Amino acid sequence: MLEPETTRFWGWRTLSRGDDEIEKRFKEQASGTTNVAWAIHLEEEHVGFTGIFDIDWVARDGESGIFIGRSDLYGRGIASEAIRLRTAFAWDELRIRRVHNWIVMRNRGSRRANEKAGYRQMGRLREAYFRTGQWHDEWLGEILLDPSPGLPRKD
Amino acid sequence: MLGGTVRGKTTRLRLPTLDDLPQVDRWAADMRVRRGGPMGRIGEPCASSTWKERFNDVVKDKDCVLWLIEADSAAVGLAKIRFSGAPAADAVDIQQFLIDPGHWHKGHGFDAALTLHRWIFDIVHLRCVNIELPVDQLSALRIAEKLGYERFAHGHEAFYRDSAYVDQYRMRMTLRTWDERWGAEHREYPAPLGPELEA
Repeated sequence: MLEPETTRFWGWRTLSRGDDEIEKRFKEQASGTTNVAWAIHLEEEHVGFTGIFDIDWVARDGESGIFIGRSDLYGRGIASEAIRLRTAFAWDELRIRRVHNWIVMRNRGSRRANEKAGYRQMGRLREAYFRTGQWHDEWLGEILLDPSPGLPRKD
Repeated sequence: MLGGTVRGKTTRLRLPTLDDLPQVDRWAADMRVRRGGPMGRIGEPCASSTWKERFNDVVKDKDCVLWLIEADSAAVGLAKIRFSGAPAADAVDIQQFLIDPGHWHKGHGFDAALTLHRWIFDIVHLRCVNIELPVDQLSALRIAEKLGYERFAHGHEAFYRDSAYVDQYRMRMTLRTWDERWGAEHREYPAPLGPELEA
């Protein structure tokens, strides 16, 4: 989580990344009822995280995120597979019917991995993310389960 | 907590106190208020003790400001904003903006919204403000469009209430729009600190 390459489009610049702070955040996350988080393992190595956060159980909607902590693993389909597994768990086990996310436009790898899993663009926010001395646009994506039979839809 | 009193033409935004709770209780559980999407999620408890807890918590939250909207010496609504973290600390989200249904159609919503944006753009000089609204909240959308918000995303079936899913608009307003649209008019308002301190 300290590599500039892996945090280029991810995370805050003001949060502490000390062991105590990270452990505290993990514990808070684990005790919450509106988050589901996973470690991503490649063979026996822990190489990243993914999760669904801020779940609104009434609307059955949550926000997703993913982080791969080794830049040498980019382009090998690890994020794509993790997103597919996460999305399947959301529908099959949690009955979440919509997941949305924000991705920095220039983070093509993450966008492509989400699109491969079925996410579609719902918007674009200009100059939303500041990193390396410049503003970047953000891509807003969403994925929807087909409407359940019998549920009316308000237009 | 940042904030302070901001005066509009018919409304005043001030920080709430526990003495306001009985007035807020009267309308905060009204389903017409609670169905307003992010302004009051249906899944959240709405007991008196919950509001007391929220009033106390928001004082300790350095990233939020909660105002009581006052008109005719009555508590007629609430407005809450949250600051984004650095390096986008010059952007805020409006997390709550609700008006007592007993005071709808009197222009208090627009006046309080304009007053809130005076604070955002004139007093604190922020770069932009974001809001998310259900697409069927027509009065809120009218206020947002009149102020100068532009839509940047359309989320599908993001809210659920009244036995149906409803879409969501995400909107943004910038300092540039504020200056272009309201730059002359807002200066007609009283000074935020009141005429007694204006000199």
